[in-house]
Amino acid sequence: MAIVKFDNVSRIYTSGDHELRALDHVSFTLDEGKFVVILGPSGAGKSTLLNLLGGLDSPSEGTITVSGSDISKLTDNELADYRASTVGFVFQFYNLIPTLTVYENVKLVSEISENALGAKDMIGKVGLLDHLNNFPSELSGGEQQRISIARALCKNPKILLCDEPTGALDSETGVMVLKLLLDMAKNYGKTIVIVTHNQNIAKMADVVIRVKNGKIRDITEQENPLSADEVEW
Amino acid sequence: MLLRKLLRTAWSYKAQFISMIIMMTLGIGIFLGFNMEWKTIEYDVGNFFEQTKYADYRLYSETGFTKDDLEKIASIDGVDAATRYLSVNLEIKGDSKKALALDVSENYTVSQFTLMDGDGYDENGDGIWLSDKFAKLNDIRIGDTLTLEFQGLDISGKVAGLIKSGEHMICLADSNQVMPDFNTFGFAYISPAKLGEIIRERALNTVKDELKKAGVPDEMINEQAEKMLTDEALAEAADKAFLQINLLSALEKSELEDAVKEKLGKTLMVVPKEDHAVYKEAMGEATEGKAMGSILPVLFLAIAILTMVTTMHRISTQEKTQIGVLKALGFKNRTILLHYSFYGLFIGVVGAALGGVLGYFVCKMVMSENGMMGTYFDMPDWSAATPAFCYPIVAGTVLLLALISFLSVRVQLRGTAADALRPYTPKKMKKSVLEKLPFFSGMSFSTKWNLRDLMRHKSRFAMTLVGIVGCMILLVGGLGMRDTMAGFLDLLDNGISHYATKVNIVENAEREKVDKLIADLDGDWESYSGISIDGYTATLDIVCNENGRFRIIDENNKDIDLRDDGVYLCLRLADRAKIGEYIEFSPYGGEEAYRVKVVGYNRSIMTESVTMTDKYADELGIKYSVSAVYTNKDSSEIPSSELISGKQDKRQLMDSFQSFVSIMDSMVFILVVAAVILGIVVLYNLGIMSYVERSRELATLKVLGFRNKKIGQLLISQNIWLTVIGVILGLPAGLGTLYWMLTALAGEYEMKLMLGPLTYSVSILLTFSVSLLVGWMVARKNKKIDMVEALKNTE
Repeated sequence: MAIVKFDNVSRIYTSGDHELRALDHVSFTLDEGKFVVILGPSGAGKSTLLNLLGGLDSPSEGTITVSGSDISKLTDNELADYRASTVGFVFQFYNLIPTLTVYENVKLVSEISENALGAKDMIGKVGLLDHLNNFPSELSGGEQQRISIARALCKNPKILLCDEPTGALDSETGVMVLKLLLDMAKNYGKTIVIVTHNQNIAKMADVVIRVKNGKIRDITEQENPLSADEVEW
Repeated sequence: MLLRKLLRTAWSYKAQFISMIIMMTLGIGIFLGFNMEWKTIEYDVGNFFEQTKYADYRLYSETGFTKDDLEKIASIDGVDAATRYLSVNLEIKGDSKKALALDVSENYTVSQFTLMDGDGYDENGDGIWLSDKFAKLNDIRIGDTLTLEFQGLDISGKVAGLIKSGEHMICLADSNQVMPDFNTFGFAYISPAKLGEIIRERALNTVKDELKKAGVPDEMINEQAEKMLTDEALAEAADKAFLQINLLSALEKSELEDAVKEKLGKTLMVVPKEDHAVYKEAMGEATEGKAMGSILPVLFLAIAILTMVTTMHRISTQEKTQIGVLKALGFKNRTILLHYSFYGLFIGVVGAALGGVLGYFVCKMVMSENGMMGTYFDMPDWSAATPAFCYPIVAGTVLLLALISFLSVRVQLRGTAADALRPYTPKKMKKSVLEKLPFFSGMSFSTKWNLRDLMRHKSRFAMTLVGIVGCMILLVGGLGMRDTMAGFLDLLDNGISHYATKVNIVENAEREKVDKLIADLDGDWESYSGISIDGYTATLDIVCNENGRFRIIDENNKDIDLRDDGVYLCLRLADRAKIGEYIEFSPYGGEEAYRVKVVGYNRSIMTESVTMTDKYADELGIKYSVSAVYTNKDSSEIPSSELISGKQDKRQLMDSFQSFVSIMDSMVFILVVAAVILGIVVLYNLGIMSYVERSRELATLKVLGFRNKKIGQLLISQNIWLTVIGVILGLPAGLGTLYWMLTALAGEYEMKLMLGPLTYSVSILLTFSVSLLVGWMVARKNKKIDMVEALKNTE
């Protein structure tokens, strides 16, 4: 069943007389529970696509439907509610709140999400119960990203959106984080969308969307995706 | 090219630049304004005193001075000039509400006047030289005839010239009056020749009365009287008129006292100019200006400099990559440092220039003919003067700002070009002492977030607090001053004074006649005279207030039922003796000394006094004469008499405070405006800085699904927290400052802090309003935060 539908979506940035089409009439659908990788070089429009899906930005043209609701015309507050209830984000640079502890960073989302899961439980799932009272700056990059995953999942969102989640990590830690991300998403039955330019990650995906110059070059469904351990990093 | 970059960068930080320029302008403007104010007072008043030969010393004698006395005084080594002097308050004939101080400087070597219009001084002239301000307000012109009542006698003359005088630069009818009111009271000079005629006429009338009583036929009275009026009798009458000698001398008071005693064989009351009301008040104003000049500007300058430190640090961290780029491009450290030092220099120079203009206006607002002091001082020249030390301080402040920029950027330039190119890394979060508090873990996420943010950015936290505390100090100080003044006036009007008219009695009036007048007026009375307590000059106040026309009150404003077995010290003299202890005093002009027991303390608002009942004074055998009678009769119902030297309507007196109150209102207005500007500028600058510093966190919250309103509340809640702390600290600081200001500004009056609930509420509410307004202005920016941009870069 399709959970996401992009219908003829464009995102145009204007600067004076200049017009830049970051996305140009893009259409596709994503099924629920799938692991989707959006692949493309820098400036291809993959992050724009993720931002539109995440409700961080609104399309200039076309409609985006998520779980049957059109999110392309939502107001600021409605978009905030959408982000709070439907999507969870994992960023390249973690974006944890530096003045909150590990526990508080994860617990934070329970203030806005009605279906939030237990914060301690989630931290336990990412294996950082020993660091509950540490501040983010006291953790390694991999640990911070694990907390970021715990925070994203704690909201209990339908879709997990990850923007280069391993981009700031060494390859060993990156694999570990990736495995965790996939396991967690699978365990909780989430749709997961990862934006990356790392071809290896694409080998693990159910669906690979290749983007170039703001257009979708192709969409590939992989029958037998590899596990993280099977991929040569 | 770098200049272009400088201007563009300045523009991109316009909020910070503008707020720092405003703070510098306010700091330097207020610093210069207040310092120019006192310097202008010292300079202009000093010049005026010199120009009019304002007396260095005044000698008083209740029996008057003879020409021989004057010669002896003038012959003292170190006395440069001396004159017999008369200054007496007289009513304008036909208008009991208006009066003049009529002065005569016998040889016109001391205590002269400055001619503003008309004929110059003529020692034989028949005219009257009248205060130009009084003339203007009462529509009197040169050539008009003016008639004054002098102890039942008319003194009439044409206005020969319009003048100003150092002796009356602060023109007050008596010590009860606080502000001059030229509408009802002015001053005038006549020549000694004209005074001689008046004395002659008065003496002639006395002789005629005596001849009439003796039964001499009417047609012979005039001739007989002329024959009986000898030169000796006239000289004696003149001697009695001159109760004062004014002199110019650089001698010390004690040296002069000893010399006078040696020459005249008796102790006289020697009043140096420092104790004379006009000089004392004028220099008091200069001292007050100095006091004001040492606290408010310091507050503003300190905040300006601290804001500069915080802001320049933030700007330099945000410019770190740019600094790195310049370094990588091959620009020398010196060039980069110079470039960024220009930021501080630019702010300093613009702030100093605008501050100079503001300072001039602040000074002029106080010290100009139409300014606040225009109603207080009556002098011809109001040129502004600046203390010399102000120039290096302003230049030093400008250089300090450049130095702050220099040092902030130098930190970012440390290491290699690659180091400089790396973005600034904020301080790592560490556990603070707050975390150890038992209730901390139970706090909401937003509270924890804000508290930790404050602990992480201590300098911003401290600066914001300084801004809020400063805002509170100005509000409590300003509004509290107004309340205290209102309370003071209410106490004076309704608490102490229960009379309609104060009737001043001439010196040496016959006691029997005075007693009859007191009975006729159904009045109470008091006698005040100068005394010395171990060399300290105070007032002996002998009172009889059986009818309750005036009250003697204790420190809680409760009536004191005066005892007849001791004296009451006013609260300002309270440290001289405890209750039950004895003090010794001696009246000026006599050799006697009295040892008396202190039986209580009283509030004496206007004077530093020792108070006793007439019964106790009689028991001690103190010689005194009634100085004033307080009656419920209207001044127009009280006929002119030889006993009365002047009448003062209580309403008129209270009205004279109105100009004082309006000056106070202007000052309060300035303080409130300054408080609001200070609050807005400091809080907005720091709020924006806090917003920029936390933009990544705010963007994260937005991405997580927090609504703008909730994030706005988070930002505003920090302001509320800081405001609560600022108010808690600012309230006592404001009260302390107000107390200090009252002591410094109104040391001559005994004032008590009286702050109404409205002042507390308005101060707190206004501070909160400023804080919330700024919080709201900053929080609004949150709507425009670009989540994608903010989250792009690494921390």
